[in-house]
Amino acid sequence: MVKTIAVPIDFRVDSLNALRLALNTIHTGKVNVVLIYAQTPLDSITDLLFYSPSEVISSLKSKEFEAAISIIKNRYESLLNHISIELFQGFGMRSVHNFLEVHKIDEVFFFKNYTLQPPKKGFDPVPLLKKSGVSYQEVGTEMEDFSRETKALNTLFNDLVIEIANH
Amino acid sequence: MLLLFGGSIYYFLYNYSYADFYKRLETRAKIAAKYNFEADKINAESFKIIRSEHLEKLSAEKEYLYRVDENNNLALTAKKSGLPLNFLADIVKNGKATRQVDETFFTGIRHGSHQNTYIVVVSAKNYYASNHLLFMRNVILLGILLIAVITTYLSFFFSKRIFDPIKHITDRVKQISTDNIHLRIEEKGNDAEISQLISTFNDLLNRLETAFETQKNFVSNASHEFGTPLTSIMGEAEVMLMKQRSPEEYQQSLVSILGQAERLNQITQTLLYLAQTGYSNNRINFQILRTDDLIWQVKEMIDKLNPKNNIQVDFSLLPENPKKLKVMGNRQLLSLAFMNILTNACKYSNNKPVVVTIASSDEQVFLAISDEGIGIPASELTFIYDPFFRASNTRNFEGYGIGLPLTRNIIKMHNGHLHISSTVNEGTTVQIKLPLAKIP
Repeated sequence: MVKTIAVPIDFRVDSLNALRLALNTIHTGKVNVVLIYAQTPLDSITDLLFYSPSEVISSLKSKEFEAAISIIKNRYESLLNHISIELFQGFGMRSVHNFLEVHKIDEVFFFKNYTLQPPKKGFDPVPLLKKSGVSYQEVGTEMEDFSRETKALNTLFNDLVIEIANH
Repeated sequence: MLLLFGGSIYYFLYNYSYADFYKRLETRAKIAAKYNFEADKINAESFKIIRSEHLEKLSAEKEYLYRVDENNNLALTAKKSGLPLNFLADIVKNGKATRQVDETFFTGIRHGSHQNTYIVVVSAKNYYASNHLLFMRNVILLGILLIAVITTYLSFFFSKRIFDPIKHITDRVKQISTDNIHLRIEEKGNDAEISQLISTFNDLLNRLETAFETQKNFVSNASHEFGTPLTSIMGEAEVMLMKQRSPEEYQQSLVSILGQAERLNQITQTLLYLAQTGYSNNRINFQILRTDDLIWQVKEMIDKLNPKNNIQVDFSLLPENPKKLKVMGNRQLLSLAFMNILTNACKYSNNKPVVVTIASSDEQVFLAISDEGIGIPASELTFIYDPFFRASNTRNFEGYGIGLPLTRNIIKMHNGHLHISSTVNEGTTVQIKLPLAKIP
């Protein structure tokens, strides 16, 4: 049975730890993953005229973020069916319901130890998603040893900017 | 080019004006013949009026009318009129003829009427040819001259503007030699390409200067490193030779000399490795290796040498597919590189936990080795790849400072990236990225 889970992201490598921990809780079956990036709806005509979700996503996606996704893909190869990044643009409950329905999302995972730091124009969809009534689960704990666990993905990527500057 | 253009305009207009003028004269001659010989009185009058009203009076226009008799010879007529004889003969023979005498143009036609043959000649001066063409010639010449002057000025101006800064750069670069490599070309903000060139040159000079510095440091450090064991060997030997000693003492001193010699040997060995890996040669055999295997082997080796180590391998990101861990590489060199980094991590953290994380994307294998050691001061991070360089906080640790440059050379040979980030007293993280082997 294929299950679809969603994880809100902010295009930082840290936000992908939620996905990693979420996948740790699932042991059988196949999983489709929808990474949700939330953005405030557009209000100017020119923006609407050249509106393209895929362009917005590809402009925000950094090299390290892509690499991190592919690391997770390789790690959970047998579990994962498909990972996609979707742009959510809306205000009210109705648009949330609509979004969840369109992408057939069964469960949403939030990361307790990390608050999203969305870039300009983006917003944190967590409160909205929690209110929507979709079944959700919070992963991560406040325990000490946990910090080491979450650090793993970040150690591979921190200071990547400096590295690029050096080469 | 311009001259050719101007010249051809002048030439064709000149030719055209002549042809045109002869045509005009011919028309006039025809009209003259009409009203003189064919029309009756009234018609002749009206012809004359029309002609004087509508046709422009040419300068020095004259009409000649002669009757040609069978027996009358042309020579007499020629004499009487002052017209050239062969011209008249041409008219009689061909029906019409043209001729130019000085500035005056003649056109004559033969006209037959009332059983008689007449010659009608009209002559005039070509005002257009003499004045207008002259004026045009002057204008064209002046134009050519002006254009030539402007073009020359502009080309000189631009070539000066373009080549002056380049010449300046050349002069400046010529001045720079090994003695004054600190000199730089001063940057100018007004010209994008030139300032780009200048900054490229300056970057090159910066790199060269660093290379020179490294070279100088290398020599002094290397001689120091070689000198220390040699001095102690010599000192030891001298002390032993001062008087007769017991066999135990000899043995002890020989052991110490052997230790120093071994150290020397180790330094030369690593230096040799460094030199070999420094330049790219194709003699090294590459094979497909599993990174996690390598890490385990290195860990086992370190376990034997230093049982107190605390290396933990983190598999939480390990890919499920072992293919994603395979890289093309040389086993000895890669394990030497990992060995260096792991022993450093253990050494400078006094056997605190060292975490090795292995992960892989679709193109690269990522390795991160983080320790909780003394770290590297931020100001010294740029020098860590210089041979024999040792950070200021490493006084209490043994080492020569060759390991890291060697490791970097090895990773470079495998087309990978090595990056080190560190905070003093918190720890160091070494990230290694190696490209995945292409396995079909």
